Amino acid sequence: MGLSAANKFFKWIVREPLLHFLVLGAGLFLLYAHVSDDSPGSTNSIVVDEAEVLRLAEQFQRTWMRPPSRQELAGLAEDFVKEEILYREALALGLDQDDLVIRRRMRQKMEFLNADLAEQQAPSDEQLRAYMNSHADKFRQPARLSFEQIYFAAEQSADSAQRKAVTLLARLEAEPETVWQELGDPTLLPAALTDASDRDIAAAFGGALAEAVGDAPLKRWSGPYESTYGLHLLRVTERAPANLPPLREIRALVGREWSNERRQQANERFYQALRERYSVEIRLPAAGDKLAVRQP
Amino acid sequence: MLSSILSRTSLAMAALVAVSGSAYATTSAMFDKEHTKAERKEFSPYVNRGYPTNVYFGDTHLHTSLSMDAGTFGNRLGLDEAYRFTRGEEVTASKGFKAKLGRPLDFVVVADHSDGMGFFDMFASGDPAVMDKEEGRRWNKAIGEGGQASVDAALEIITLFSQGKFPWRTNNPKMMKPVWHNVIDAAEKYNDPGKFTAFIGYEWTSLVKGNNLHRVVIYRDGGNQARQTLPFTLADSADPEDLWEFMKTYEDKTGGDLLAIPHNGNLANGIMFDIETLSGGAIDKDYAERRQRWEPLYETTQIKGDGEAHPLLSPDDEFADYETWDLGNLDMSQAKTDDMLAGEYARSGLKRGLEFEQKFGVNPYKFGQIGSTDSHTSLPAVEENNFFGKHSGVEPSPERAMHVTLGGEHGKIMGYEMASSGYAAVWATENTRAAIFDAMSRKETYATTGSRMAVRFFGGWDFTEEDARSRQPADAGYARGVPMGGDLRHAPTGKSPSFLVAALKDALSGNLDRIQIIKGWVGNDGKAQERVYDVAVSDGRKIDNNGRCKTPVGNTVDVEKATWSNTIGAPELIAVWTDPDFDPNQRAFYYARVIEIPTPRWTAYEAMRFNIEMPKEAEMATQERAYTSPIWYTPKK
Repeated sequence: MGLSAANKFFKWIVREPLLHFLVLGAGLFLLYAHVSDDSPGSTNSIVVDEAEVLRLAEQFQRTWMRPPSRQELAGLAEDFVKEEILYREALALGLDQDDLVIRRRMRQKMEFLNADLAEQQAPSDEQLRAYMNSHADKFRQPARLSFEQIYFAAEQSADSAQRKAVTLLARLEAEPETVWQELGDPTLLPAALTDASDRDIAAAFGGALAEAVGDAPLKRWSGPYESTYGLHLLRVTERAPANLPPLREIRALVGREWSNERRQQANERFYQALRERYSVEIRLPAAGDKLAVRQP
Repeated sequence: MLSSILSRTSLAMAALVAVSGSAYATTSAMFDKEHTKAERKEFSPYVNRGYPTNVYFGDTHLHTSLSMDAGTFGNRLGLDEAYRFTRGEEVTASKGFKAKLGRPLDFVVVADHSDGMGFFDMFASGDPAVMDKEEGRRWNKAIGEGGQASVDAALEIITLFSQGKFPWRTNNPKMMKPVWHNVIDAAEKYNDPGKFTAFIGYEWTSLVKGNNLHRVVIYRDGGNQARQTLPFTLADSADPEDLWEFMKTYEDKTGGDLLAIPHNGNLANGIMFDIETLSGGAIDKDYAERRQRWEPLYETTQIKGDGEAHPLLSPDDEFADYETWDLGNLDMSQAKTDDMLAGEYARSGLKRGLEFEQKFGVNPYKFGQIGSTDSHTSLPAVEENNFFGKHSGVEPSPERAMHVTLGGEHGKIMGYEMASSGYAAVWATENTRAAIFDAMSRKETYATTGSRMAVRFFGGWDFTEEDARSRQPADAGYARGVPMGGDLRHAPTGKSPSFLVAALKDALSGNLDRIQIIKGWVGNDGKAQERVYDVAVSDGRKIDNNGRCKTPVGNTVDVEKATWSNTIGAPELIAVWTDPDFDPNQRAFYYARVIEIPTPRWTAYEAMRFNIEMPKEAEMATQERAYTSPIWYTPKK
């Protein structure tokens, strides 16, 4: 059975996670009982039935791009029987134990198998709203700032940039209605940002200015503040605090996060359900004790 | 996110664009001069700004564990993680380090190899379909072991694949379809118009005896159209002409739009910008038209080396030898010889294009430029201080600098030689599939080596110094010229083309050293020439009569501490430059190259963090750069 077929099988067999664990647990138990059965009586019959023959033929077809002849099919069946016998005997001899490669392969198969377990129906608004409220930090929109800035190039002379900025600030304080857009040095930097988060401001102007904008007074010019580009006078026009938007505005995002968490939780529950059936003891050296690790 | 930079406009602008866009389409009479000029002076300076004011940064070339080689190299991160990381969220990389971008990207194309898409999962899980062969069983075992065994398996897979000796058919529709539909579903899920663009796409992995002709194929369309066909594979054909035919078939069938972006000419051993077609035919008008139609862009820079210029081809360009990989082809099965170089680098390709155009009137190599990562870790992480490597075998570790990244018979590329590069910058009206795709189609793009500087480049006939002092250079640029990727024709008598070029540094990276304009043209002997001009330099340095500034900007990098200071260089540069050597009878191209001051290379951050010695040969400082799409000048017939 191919892996995707196995996945489908599992999805089909149960939608209900709890039932799923029970069935899977029972399956594992049967598998365990089967493998650990010492008497060969129950395992010494091998039937290559029609389904198996069909699988062999399809596998052959994939490789050779034609169906196998009767003779080839008989050969495939014999080979399958040989593999099955040697496989069972190897299991009986415990050759799968302590083999790192086999252990990893088995673990991987289990992980692949249950990777898609969490695929479920679309969540309801109630579910999403509850999830959003209990994970408010994750969905809270950061504080938004709108501000204007006047730039002074400090590349040629930092002193003269500083002087120009201070002089202009005095004028703007005296005459707040001054048309400011054409003042200061020309620059490719935006003259204003609207509804920008701290991260947006840092991306456009660098971290230092983002901090300055955060602390600058509201609705009046202040500065000069230094950035990686030069000096700036700032006027913050609006500060919107961080807030949790209504669900309808961020439904897609919440849905994605919800599914993602469900997927992780299902995987974890699956593992924990298995783990509960074991008594686990880990003996780490006491703090301070050195392990005698051999150098390679 | 620089998308808000240089935008003093709002949504109203997008509406304006839509209006002017459709107006254009109505009638060709609209192109008459008097109609395109604004009839009346408006009061608000923001009215009539129907041009793109946002530059968006993205990666058009990202691999996840679905790519056979990525998975085998140890990448365990799938589509979800790739998108989450690109959008700025934290994920855990395959080798265990937590990873997060300094700034999110604005768009991404997850471009997994179409050949053997999903094969890795079959090797990993021991699917009967691949366990029927010795190689499948061996690779299955190696993947289980992980570590070097897994990397060796990946290299073997790449080699067999490169040589056309891969043991399975890699285009079996039964295997491809479910994987392809997963790819489409994931792009649909994460595409968020206006905020984040997830393109549907894949990589067509054409190799001819190990020579790289790879192309990333990008869909403008949504899932309903993309689902109607499967991706094109190497198993279908290695010839780009067949890819173009396939793309045409898709468009005819679905009404959709595709474009393809070739990359890594530096590993193509001369056949990326060849003098004949792959099948040995002559490059003619028909070939040139089709190549222009389907391949408007070239990926000039990425982790597997920078491909703008090669020092042997451009001996007078002291910046040409940047992150150069020139030992051989993709699997190092054939060594590189000097005569191959002209068919490999963006600049030489552009020059060859002019020569062909001289012969039969159409330019086969008329492409714009972008950069991208080609990361195989699901992480487009190429910030120098945050570099996660080419593939999961070379994710951050004290040893990776001396791990083999690529190798074969004729040499190997060590970990320290990886370039932490690059991103695609696109001037678009909004962050949507349609707007970004259309900007790519008109080549209004530039490549960066990972830094996010904003670069404007316009060509026209009457730009003046005044325009360089303007507060809105883009107003003049669009009103009286064409942007990067555009064409100049019909030189007015006695006029030389002038260029308005401006660059604003990345807030988180180094200051700017200089802006250069690189000109290529066809001389009267039919041979293409090139020349580099410095047009704006920092710190009051002088540009000499030959148009060059030979004084280096200096170096403030403290390698040991992996720091630098912005006490040299300029935060922004702007200039108007007029070609002093213009001949109206000679076809030419011009593109801008912006160079930053030296900053620590990723190797310096790594040496500091792991407290290790880098090999002597490793570069420890870098000068990040940007390459714009060219503007072409075509004389009257």
